[in-house]
Amino acid sequence: MRLVLSTSNIMGGSSIISRAAAEKSNTELVSSLRANFHSVQRSHEQQKQTNGNGTHTNGSISIPYKAWTRQEGTDLYIPTADFEHSGLAEERSQYDITVKLFYLPNIPPSKRCAHTREAIELVLKELHVSSIDLLIISFPGISFDADDEEYSDIDEEDSGIVDGEGDDVGGVDDIDTMATTWRTLEALHDEGIIGKLGLAEFGSQRLSRLLAKTRVRPTVDQINVRDCCVVPKQLILFAKQEGIELLTHNDCTNILPRGTLRELLGPGETGAGVLAGREAGGEGLKGDVEPQWVVKYTAVVKNRGVVENKGYFAAAELHEC
Amino acid sequence: MGLLAVGTPLEWPEAKKVAGHVREWGIEQLLAIWRRAKGKERDALLWGDEIEYLVVCYDDEHRKVRLSLRQMDILDALASDQDLLKAGGGVPDVQRGAPKEGDTAPVFHAEFGRFMLEATPGKPWGIGFKDLLDVEPNMKLRRKIAKEHMADTEFPITLTTFPRLGQKDCTDPAYPVSGPKLRSQFLPDEIANPHVRFPTLAANIRWRRGRKVELNVPVFRDEKTPWPFKDPTVNYDLHNWPEDDDVRNGAAKENCIYMDAMAFGMGSCCLQITFQAKNIEEGRKMYDQLSPLGPILLALTAATPVYKGFLADTDVRWNQISRAVDDRTPEELGEQPLKNDRWRIPKSRYASNSTYISRDPRLRKEYLDPDLVVDEKLKQRLLDGGMDDLLATHFAHLFIRDPIVVFSEDLKELDLDKVDHFENLQSTNWQHMRFKPPPPGNNTGWRVEFRPMEIQITDFENAAFSIFIVLITRAILSFDLNFYIPIPRVTENMETAHARDAVLNSKFYFRKNPFPERPERPTSNSSASGTSTPSPISRPDTPLGPVEDEYELMTVNEIINGSASGFPGLIPLVESYLNSMNVDVETRCELATYLDLIRKRADGTLWSGAKWMRHFVRNHQEYKQDSVVTEGIEFDIVRAAERIAREEGRDGFGFEMLGHKR
Repeated sequence: MRLVLSTSNIMGGSSIISRAAAEKSNTELVSSLRANFHSVQRSHEQQKQTNGNGTHTNGSISIPYKAWTRQEGTDLYIPTADFEHSGLAEERSQYDITVKLFYLPNIPPSKRCAHTREAIELVLKELHVSSIDLLIISFPGISFDADDEEYSDIDEEDSGIVDGEGDDVGGVDDIDTMATTWRTLEALHDEGIIGKLGLAEFGSQRLSRLLAKTRVRPTVDQINVRDCCVVPKQLILFAKQEGIELLTHNDCTNILPRGTLRELLGPGETGAGVLAGREAGGEGLKGDVEPQWVVKYTAVVKNRGVVENKGYFAAAELHEC
Repeated sequence: MGLLAVGTPLEWPEAKKVAGHVREWGIEQLLAIWRRAKGKERDALLWGDEIEYLVVCYDDEHRKVRLSLRQMDILDALASDQDLLKAGGGVPDVQRGAPKEGDTAPVFHAEFGRFMLEATPGKPWGIGFKDLLDVEPNMKLRRKIAKEHMADTEFPITLTTFPRLGQKDCTDPAYPVSGPKLRSQFLPDEIANPHVRFPTLAANIRWRRGRKVELNVPVFRDEKTPWPFKDPTVNYDLHNWPEDDDVRNGAAKENCIYMDAMAFGMGSCCLQITFQAKNIEEGRKMYDQLSPLGPILLALTAATPVYKGFLADTDVRWNQISRAVDDRTPEELGEQPLKNDRWRIPKSRYASNSTYISRDPRLRKEYLDPDLVVDEKLKQRLLDGGMDDLLATHFAHLFIRDPIVVFSEDLKELDLDKVDHFENLQSTNWQHMRFKPPPPGNNTGWRVEFRPMEIQITDFENAAFSIFIVLITRAILSFDLNFYIPIPRVTENMETAHARDAVLNSKFYFRKNPFPERPERPTSNSSASGTSTPSPISRPDTPLGPVEDEYELMTVNEIINGSASGFPGLIPLVESYLNSMNVDVETRCELATYLDLIRKRADGTLWSGAKWMRHFVRNHQEYKQDSVVTEGIEFDIVRAAERIAREEGRDGFGFEMLGHKR
């Protein structure tokens, strides 16, 4: 079974603010997923209460997951995704729509073609549009390192560093694998679904090697904001020369580790109660969850600099045991 | 301030007779603009900043600095500079070049004080992040161009006030005090812009009020300050004008620095930002949401520790300007029973806002001022004209005032394509926010002006605060933030902001949770940010708690930087907004230095301008711990401001304000 998690529009929710104490940059994804689950659960809860056929609970959510999720074939939407009422307020031309797709560690690159199309399709459906302006892809395991870039010309493939999230640490793709993935994006570009293509966390060497293998060139390279004042000259010059814009981001590479997802969906205080606990009993789903990809979308009203719609979808496989 | 209208200004007794007439025509003009522009949609974000300078003139030989009164000569030089005109710049009220496609040279304006100069960008800024990087260099260019059109001994300085304004021999050229317009015992009439509007404004305020304006600033009590302090500069034996009796009737208060003329307030330099909203509803929302931020930004930009040669016990200029244009009569002030006047008025026409105007469902009745004074007849006219109650109330509140300067030529016929009568009232209501309808005759949209900030010594700081406010507005609109607190609390905060080091030590009422209720239904997740007028947001089902539970007292640091358990902080909100945008590394790095300045001003790592200047005075070798700022100290303060504006702390001087990094 495939699980499709969504945040709906997170603008205007408090989950978007990572407090100074919370350093992890995937806080936004996790807390906005949690907030969306909670809000949908609560409205179902209230409905039940007004209908007079629900048991009152003191604060904790007790409604079964089936009430607030929706199964379509082998897909389970968590929560029930309502594509009818989403969308943008003004016509398409008013917006800049940026999408960032995170490929996750330990997922075979051979699946990326399908994953990319799935992810983009969900975003198009959510925003009621037929194209996006910029797709940035994030390969698992690579992380730009200003020091490496400056002082060494060692093979970058060996220096890929993963954010210390604990589990799911996979290896780094070789350049040919990345190039293969890139062809999927080029196809989407040719179909007119994606305007511009971009990458995240590429140093100048990795960038130059990938460039040699692309037909549609990337126009954006995203660097983590904590490094934005120490971007090495080498990369700045290279990017300028190649017409690539260096943008900032605040995402971590391993955005949705398996353990985090299990906790999010699991039973207990902080979980959504979709997955059953390890003990027998309970009505949740049983099995192992494996996150497949995460996609973030942002629709900005161009000449006003207002973020009107922002959200995430995440997909995971449930391997029933 | 525009200079366009010319004619014969009426003296107060005549102006008073036609006040009702001007108001009625002003309301008709307002209705006409509102009807034309209420459906105006999808205007881009455009914004502009205003930098105001004092023009000083050094006399190095005598270690003396004076205010230069050559405003008109400098403006003439700017207006006739062919290169400047060719580049699109100049003086709009006299002559300017056509704005260019790309870079456009800045433009310059007269201000109330004849020692002042105002500079604005040649065309408005957009939200393109690269535009934001142009702001600081443009401010520096303005300063450079201004200087190039001055004499060798003259300099444009961004201090809020001239330290010894009102002391003997403070202007160049010198003029005798006690002129017929101001009747000030400290300042000559020539201190004001010579255009007939300005002396008339000053004279009619005084006339309407029935005595001179009265500014009493608490003096800073240092170790050797004589106590009780009696302002030693006050002359009790002057008999030129009836108003000379003011001081004999107790106008000068004990332990205060006493000032008696409009120029003491309106001669202050401010940093003002104006935004164009996408439509009237967004403008009304920005007006409301920025309003509670006003006092916080006033405290944060504090830069006014000296008045008339004495250290003051306050850090900001606001109340002095308020009193400098306070035209209320004794009846309106509540000093005498109401007999001839229509109502008691709690605030000066220069004061913090008293209204909220947004049709935001989150605006609770409890936030409004229950004692708001409005002209019910004019309000009814606006309602009859189709305007909604909130907006009609706002304008009917502004229109409780009398027009001060009326030109007899303008009263012949009502021209609904003009806004002169409306602007007569609107632009002499100097509140900390201003809601500006589109002007006739061009494509400009609804605008909101943010007015409380004090000018900073360097353009780095001025750019930082301007850009911070721009980013805050984007965060407000993107996150649909809610800063509402009862408007009387905003007024209280404005007073709080005056205290010495309020930025570090005072607490301000502020809303605890700025986030909107997350929609309960999964189906109602479409944002209202792009919809047309008005946005259909349904009120959340949950019953609202007591208003008092929505806000609490916070320090500026908590409001700006957030607290672990409470308010998220304006800087983290802005950072979060930036994280949602595609920002290039160079821009983000530059913006980080601006946000860092504000973060550190709020947490006390860096000093406010007021604190730095107070420290500078108290450690000056000429200072005798008696609160007196001597000519020599003044000379060094002004020189210091000039040096800091140039070096920005790179030479180590002023690093307490600016840090070391630049």
